[in-house]
Amino acid sequence: MRGKGTNVKMATPKTVPKDAQVMIQILKDMGITEYEPRVINQMLEFTYRYVTTIIEDAKIYATHAKKNNVDADDIRLAIQSRMDQSFTSPPPRDFLLEVARQKNQTPLPLIKPYTGPRLPPDRYCLTAPNYRLKSIQKKMSSSAGRITVPRLSVAAVSSRSSTPTFGTPSVQSVTTKVGTQMSLSGQRFTVQIPSSQTAASKSSTPSTPTVQNVLINPSLIGSKNILITTNMVSQNLASESLKRKHEDDDYDAL
Amino acid sequence: MAAVQDGQLNLEVEKDIKTEITNDGSGNINANSSSPGSTSSGGKSKSPAGSGEDQQTLLAVLQFLKRNKLTESVDILRREAGLSADADDSPVSESAGAGSGGVPSVGADGGDANSLLSRVSIATPVAPPATAPPKVVAASGGEDQPDVNVVLSAYSQQGDPVLYPLYYNGLKKFIESVLDCHRAELSQVFYPLFVHMYLELVYNNHENEAKQFFEKFSGDQECYYEEDLRILSSMSKKEHMKGNETMLDFRTSKFVLRISRDSYQLLKRHLQERQNNQIWNIIQEHLYIDIFDGMPRSKSQIDAMSGSLAGEGKRDANKAKVFYGLLKEPEIEVPLDDEDEEAENEEGKPKKKKPKKDSMGSKSKKQDPNAPQQTRIPLPELKDSDKLDKIMNMKEATKKIRLGPDNLPSICFYSFLNAYQGLTAVDFTDDSSLIAGGFADSTVRVWSVTPKKLRRVKSAADLSNIDKESDDVLERIMDEKTASESKILYGHSGPVYGISFSPDRNYLLSSSEDGTVRLWSLQTFTCLVGYKGHNYPVWDTQFSPYGYYFISGGHDRVARLWATDHYQPLRMFAGHLADITCTLFHPNSNYVATGSADRTIRLWDVLTGNCVRILTGHKGPIHSLAFSPNGKFMASGATDGRVLLWDVGHGLMVGELKGHTDTIYALKFSRDGEILASGSMDNTVKLWDTLKAFDDVELDDFTAATGHIHLPENSQELLLGTYMTKSTPVIHLHFTRRNLLLAAGAYNP
Repeated sequence: MRGKGTNVKMATPKTVPKDAQVMIQILKDMGITEYEPRVINQMLEFTYRYVTTIIEDAKIYATHAKKNNVDADDIRLAIQSRMDQSFTSPPPRDFLLEVARQKNQTPLPLIKPYTGPRLPPDRYCLTAPNYRLKSIQKKMSSSAGRITVPRLSVAAVSSRSSTPTFGTPSVQSVTTKVGTQMSLSGQRFTVQIPSSQTAASKSSTPSTPTVQNVLINPSLIGSKNILITTNMVSQNLASESLKRKHEDDDYDAL
Repeated sequence: MAAVQDGQLNLEVEKDIKTEITNDGSGNINANSSSPGSTSSGGKSKSPAGSGEDQQTLLAVLQFLKRNKLTESVDILRREAGLSADADDSPVSESAGAGSGGVPSVGADGGDANSLLSRVSIATPVAPPATAPPKVVAASGGEDQPDVNVVLSAYSQQGDPVLYPLYYNGLKKFIESVLDCHRAELSQVFYPLFVHMYLELVYNNHENEAKQFFEKFSGDQECYYEEDLRILSSMSKKEHMKGNETMLDFRTSKFVLRISRDSYQLLKRHLQERQNNQIWNIIQEHLYIDIFDGMPRSKSQIDAMSGSLAGEGKRDANKAKVFYGLLKEPEIEVPLDDEDEEAENEEGKPKKKKPKKDSMGSKSKKQDPNAPQQTRIPLPELKDSDKLDKIMNMKEATKKIRLGPDNLPSICFYSFLNAYQGLTAVDFTDDSSLIAGGFADSTVRVWSVTPKKLRRVKSAADLSNIDKESDDVLERIMDEKTASESKILYGHSGPVYGISFSPDRNYLLSSSEDGTVRLWSLQTFTCLVGYKGHNYPVWDTQFSPYGYYFISGGHDRVARLWATDHYQPLRMFAGHLADITCTLFHPNSNYVATGSADRTIRLWDVLTGNCVRILTGHKGPIHSLAFSPNGKFMASGATDGRVLLWDVGHGLMVGELKGHTDTIYALKFSRDGEILASGSMDNTVKLWDTLKAFDDVELDDFTAATGHIHLPENSQELLLGTYMTKSTPVIHLHFTRRNLLLAAGAYNP
């Protein structure tokens, strides 16, 4: 193994600090012969940081115990708590065997046929949008012929060119001041006349703020049998009164 | 005697006894008394939790109390436990009897109770000191009973740590004086004995003695244990051991040795002499000696099989029936077209005009006795798209080149440039149309190998506009604007160590150092699910050949079986002593193979979660596994540069391919199993002739029974070719359906 040669340039002892020499020796003892020179610096940094943390913790414990000096017990406690926190190790084998035994007793669940993409329930997936769309309807009290254009301004929504539809939104909850319809496919902001009844869309009366829950059929995600449903699947009129207190965030019309 | 079992049962029992005795007012001794029973071996061997043991424990406690003149406590305890004054003396005499009676318990009959009893009785202060009491004290979960510890250890271990080198030396001299044929076998004892004695000393805080012991005897051990010894040398305090799960497990599990009966008799006779009793106790406690009848093995045979962290596999560990056959292919109607004119018609139907049936698996209507039932584990049914895939597969298979020693495959190498040593995982789809690479910067990149670009599915609004009835609807759903050669998937927060495509090319799995396994959709190139379960780096993951299930294995020494629609694992395969570095499904999806850093390969049954095979022989952590297409054989490669071939049905090693000089990260059998390709860190791809390797194997009853086979030294003949790359370690290999070999690696100048 030594024949392979090391990448470390052994500088003359008077230029390499003692700590680094010790670290080089440790690496050699552990059988590591090839390493980049910066590894020593990284190891030293880690050592310094670790030791400092431990000693600081030990100092805290010592003061807590109203001792003047830090003694071995404090250090031991500090190491122990740091080990449990940062340097955890996997559970012991007998515990694992026990857990495995219990888990393996349940029979394998049967597979339901024809379910489209087989994914866990939605809340365990990462397919929901991690943003909420807000839109403000200005002067919406008058109604019919008005076209109000909500601007949906959300940081994440700006990715228009991509289609986050299938990846991201399976449930979108949109708070709107008025039930303006927006196409929540996320790529364009279509404007719809609030009071008009667009087919397959739900608009609410201007006065009632609405929270819409838009569900995109999960079977859209990732399978070749894509059911083309419009994105406004359902509208939750019931919850309208509960929300909609955010008057202040006015977004300009598109 | 099983090596590691449900020690939990024991611990519960012991806890009860503990609390009982505490309440008796002898608060000091609650630690030690309970432990002699089960935790003398670290609580890992089965202990009959019967009243006999409780009795022994109580008596041990009484003895202790008497010794320390805690007469009141003695009275209280005796009264409460309902013991008479005479009962004290009985264990002493029993111990003598049990001591010798416990001796033949080691071995094939596995008399747990006896040996345990002997240990318990030894724990009583009267009996000669053994390792039981100190461990008893120490293993009491680190409760702070310093005075008790000190007392007990002082008493029972007077001179014990100093004596360890003497014991070891004595044994060494004996083994050196033994007949040649037995010496090789008995030398197996050295390593586990050395490690256990050293760990004993460390655990009981005899640091100096431990160091001296180590210095004196570590040089004698076999060369392939060098890594372990180095790790051991860094552990000189008890606290060091606590952080190292592998060593703790090693200490608490039994190292398995396979020794012929004759050699064993020799050893036993020697160790049962009076002065060697201590070593005998130690051996009994930490080693499991699997005795077989027959010729003692030669050194080379032993060397071939040894090297793992837990010794070899026990004979009965490898006796379970493994259904290694393949599942029947479903019958699919194949529409005939002109291209298939020259294709073979295995069913012998003369007329080409008739639609051919898929005759790949239906040669015989009878169930292959070695194949599992179709319904043994639930598998997803075939969708239409899957059927189309299968037809495509068959068509390509007809164009497959027959490989052989005189017809080697061409190798197409995909080099990843500018990866800066960050390429950590690669996978190809089965039809070789996509490559995915996992990188140390936590990204996953997918490339298209064919000229066809990667496209995303359109958004929902656009999808509503397309004509759903058109023939090419599957093309129209794709968004042309997003076409590109490669896609980058972001999501992990640590280097990606494992990658696997699903067989239907819809999903991609990636496992990372952040402890999660992520499922990505290849239709939308976004992340769908993150499976959390391992809290430690997950080193490898793989989809089942039928999709839906996948496995992952990582640092927590457990492999988990998941289904894509369950957020928790379905099965947990626990048993390895060290990290699981490599996971692989059997072609029939009923078994899972895991290779680990403890240098063993275990085969697990998906249905029950049991380990059905333990295969030892590698001298380094295993990094690659491959099943032959017929499911009968397995190949494994490790850091020691050797490829080992195994017969899955019998659980035996059938071949050893030497040639590589560095870790083997890639192994693949060709589509018909005639050629095995291996890729390694030494920048080469080697091709091996497997037909010849498996032909040479004769498995008669003798070898099947005893499990050791004489391996022919024919690596050179089996090597068909070595192909060097330009300083590019090979980390993945893949045979296309036409038997072209694809290889992947990152250019590393």
